[in-house]
Amino acid sequence: MKTFEEKWTAWLDGQLSGRELAEFEASLPDKAAAEAEKTEATKLRKLLKSEIGVQTLNNAEFFSHQLRERIARESGGASRVSGVRRMESSTRWTVPRLLWTSAASIAVFLACTVLVMRDKSGSEESQYLTQILNARVDPVVSPNATVSIFEVKQDRVTVLWTEGLQTLPADYAAK
Amino acid sequence: MQTEATPVQADVSELDLVKRCQAGDTEAFDELVTRYRTRVFSMIYNMVHNEQDAWDLAQDSFLKAWKSIKRFRGRSSFYTWIYRIVMNVTIDWLRKKHVKGGGTEFDDAIQLRQVEPASKTVPKTEALPHEMMERDEIRARIERAIAQLSPEHRAVILMKELEDMQYHEIAEAVGCSIGTVMSRLFYARKKLQNLLRDVYENI
Repeated sequence: MKTFEEKWTAWLDGQLSGRELAEFEASLPDKAAAEAEKTEATKLRKLLKSEIGVQTLNNAEFFSHQLRERIARESGGASRVSGVRRMESSTRWTVPRLLWTSAASIAVFLACTVLVMRDKSGSEESQYLTQILNARVDPVVSPNATVSIFEVKQDRVTVLWTEGLQTLPADYAAK
Repeated sequence: MQTEATPVQADVSELDLVKRCQAGDTEAFDELVTRYRTRVFSMIYNMVHNEQDAWDLAQDSFLKAWKSIKRFRGRSSFYTWIYRIVMNVTIDWLRKKHVKGGGTEFDDAIQLRQVEPASKTVPKTEALPHEMMERDEIRARIERAIAQLSPEHRAVILMKELEDMQYHEIAEAVGCSIGTVMSRLFYARKKLQNLLRDVYENI
């Protein structure tokens, strides 16, 4: 069921015919006023057509050129984005792979730590100093003997300070 | 339906061009743009009344059409299909501008703008200075009157009166029912008649 507005529009545009047209025209309270309005609508249409017809697109070729460039840019961008996505998906790690990698990293870290610690302790005490420290001081001969070691790293000097030592151990004295 | 197509270009069917576009052929799309760019620009210009804005919106519309060309199923003509995009882009823009500008665009506050005679195709013949001034004044009156219509009413009246589009084509382009199109035409015409009566009665 068409509304009055729809019928009126169709009537103005000459889209009503036959029985529909007859019924609509019969329903108009003032046929003359309706015809006058139809004439006005025709004048309006002519005015619009004559005054605001097709606008010239200045620089039409530049318009197309600019559009081509935009399309090329957008297409390039899209392919770059999809390329990045492909890379992301291929390098995405699974959980087991992640666990294995973590375990391996921890093992390597521990091994390195042990090696560094061992190396460090070795470098701190030379074989010569170890011998001194391990030397037994006879408590009967030197009951109050003390042995101190000072290391001055910047001068690469180690000072052995002994007090109350009556005699040096025989094996040290030999060296 | 007027297009810029030459007779040779017209031999290539629109559907073939669309199929080539869907396969990624930018040259085919370029040909479609050449065919419809003036009409699209003209339609948008009559909606927004600014050459630069119309240019940008036409660019955006064609770009959007290129991006979504794969979704075109050929149930309507390419022109109707692209008109739908044009209308969406333009009406959205007008609505945003309306919100930003505090609603002046649809009111009677729009200022008289100087329209460049060179930007129009009619008349082709040289007019006398006072005739040109008079014509510019009439055009400005019409533009002001159209600017007072809502974007939806603007769209239907321009498509009907300038493009001679059928109700169903307009309905498809603006995405509403035929009844709504006819109703919008009714009110748009009434309003324009009230605003421009003295103009068309004195010509």
